[in-house]
Amino acid sequence: MKKTVAILVALCFCLGLMTACSASSDDGNPVGDKIKIGWIGSLTGDQSVFGICERDTIKMLVDEANANGGIAGKQVEFIPYDTKGTPEEAMNAVNRLVTSDKVVAILGPNASGLAIPIASVLEKGKVADIATVATNPKVTVDKGKLKPYNFRVCFIDPYQGAVAAQYAFKEAGLKKAAILSDVSDEYSQGLSEYFKKTFTELGGEVVAEEAFKTGDVDFRAQLTKIKEKNPDLLFLPYFFKEVSLTAKQADEIGIKATMMGGDGWTSDQLMEMGGPYLQNCFIVHHLNEDDPNVQAFKQQFHDAYPDKPLQLNAYMGHDAFVTLKAAIEKVNEDNKRKITSGAVAKALEGIEVQGITGKIKISPEDHNPQGKEAAIITIKGDKYEFVTRYAADLK
Amino acid sequence: MNQFLQQLINGVSIGSIYALMAVGYSLVYSIMNFSNFAHGGVIMLSAYIGYYAVTLLGLSFLPALLVTALAATAIAGIIERLAYRPLRQRNAPTLYFIISAMGMSILLENLVIATIGPQFKTYPILFQETTINLGNLSVSKLDILMLIISAISLILLVLFLNKTRAGLAVRAATYNARASQLMGVNVDGIIFLVFALGGALAGIAGVFFGMKYTVYAQAGVITNKAFIAAVFGGLGSLPGAILGSILLGVIETFVAAAKSQFRDLIAFVILIAVLVIRPSGIMGKSSEDKA
Repeated sequence: MKKTVAILVALCFCLGLMTACSASSDDGNPVGDKIKIGWIGSLTGDQSVFGICERDTIKMLVDEANANGGIAGKQVEFIPYDTKGTPEEAMNAVNRLVTSDKVVAILGPNASGLAIPIASVLEKGKVADIATVATNPKVTVDKGKLKPYNFRVCFIDPYQGAVAAQYAFKEAGLKKAAILSDVSDEYSQGLSEYFKKTFTELGGEVVAEEAFKTGDVDFRAQLTKIKEKNPDLLFLPYFFKEVSLTAKQADEIGIKATMMGGDGWTSDQLMEMGGPYLQNCFIVHHLNEDDPNVQAFKQQFHDAYPDKPLQLNAYMGHDAFVTLKAAIEKVNEDNKRKITSGAVAKALEGIEVQGITGKIKISPEDHNPQGKEAAIITIKGDKYEFVTRYAADLK
Repeated sequence: MNQFLQQLINGVSIGSIYALMAVGYSLVYSIMNFSNFAHGGVIMLSAYIGYYAVTLLGLSFLPALLVTALAATAIAGIIERLAYRPLRQRNAPTLYFIISAMGMSILLENLVIATIGPQFKTYPILFQETTINLGNLSVSKLDILMLIISAISLILLVLFLNKTRAGLAVRAATYNARASQLMGVNVDGIIFLVFALGGALAGIAGVFFGMKYTVYAQAGVITNKAFIAAVFGGLGSLPGAILGSILLGVIETFVAAAKSQFRDLIAFVILIAVLVIRPSGIMGKSSEDKA
């Protein structure tokens, strides 16, 4: 009995030493013959439309980079894992990428709810993560404290809410707003909070605030109540499926207000179902899709995946990839070809690249892209139309 | 007052979708005494079948509805043969039927995700879905059509159960399956028939659900509510299922109008309260007159 205990203790000790050793390589995962880049996101479940598109895009770009000689002279290995849309699976996936695959950095996920909990694992392994469409402020900064290994290439919810409110009030001249939001979704709550704050500070009035819950499909009770208040703007900060249903039902109830929403809207499916009911709406978007660079990228995606729908995630995935590529190349030059995940994370701070969603300069203070302009787009007929580039002045 | 009437219209419209779904649950329960959760799966599949009937076969509304009802009848029949009949032949306890039903429902959902994919589909506009305005009130034509077709199919069902020999056999089997078997009723056949009828209703419900709320694999949230409405009205009672559904739709709508965040919370507290006072639901009688 004593012997077994002794053996167990010895085993534990060894294991402890081993993990201590691997953790003590003080600059995170070193790069061998190949540069390993991880990706996490939803490949199954509700959000899989976004995840699959993002993974496919990055895979396409990795293949392209490899065909052109790789990054920093090394071939790239792309390792995508499914989060199934749950934080637990996201943690497992990041753990695997950091400790057993030993990646140099991770791209994704597309949802804030998954990007927030993974910070501790990243910090332990000194591996950077570049989130794509995770717009919640807490992804990179929590309670005023910067998370050293979390980055992103998209603008954040307060900014998006502020852009929507300022554009609606100052440019479109809409003064009476009603908000319908998804109570069980942090993205939706964040956007409506910052929209309301900015809109009322400017002197606008929020006449109705109604809510629903993910999974609901009928909003007529809430819309009937909103109609009574007679708003001239209806702010709908959630995703395209519910937006399509809301727009259709609002039309049924007879609401004539201008509809407005954020980056959860734009998709082919919104147009297919909600298009007729969303004429002349305003959407806060990440990019101008009419831009020639965007057109070229679109063509590349459709050539690679003829049958797959293109989502916003493709553009953000592209920009996350080029940002990471620039950081790896910078480390390669500065460190005389010794690339580690820790060095890549440091190089990301302050890096500047031209993405297809605009110029990206990662701020060392909050790891967000600095002063990125949003695009306001609308729907005319069955097409999205670019209206203007718009930046909100934040106090 | 206007607002009240409009909300009442909204509530009845939601309730009538629940009713089409709930009747199928009740029908199977009345004869088999278990909750056929696979019914939700059949409704979801029907939404897809209707969608493809319209987009791929180019059918117009009524033929598509008919084709879907027939296909759903067949699917429900196949499910009965595959998932329940072997259990029945072995006299398995009710719990096994429920587990088999749940398994079937998860299987159907994942089958759709694996083959068709997770994207939701939208029915093309089949007829001008305009609304009819009465003063300040508006009712959508689709809702009116849905109400009419649901009423016709439910009346046909009641007529079938009350006026035909096969219907008589169904009713006999709901009182006492064993005794009817002894009297020469082919109970296996009757059970198959009941599933087929439930399937036809699922087909109709699926098409309407898809047209109103898009087609997607996770429709289970809504079909679960229909099941709850059936329990609320009294499982096994057809008028109970309809009444329970309309009430649930109306209660939900009014709670949502008052305090939208609390819709499900308050609506379901009311339901639980009703069940505590009347465990067999509003119209459920424990053993008599179940069909």
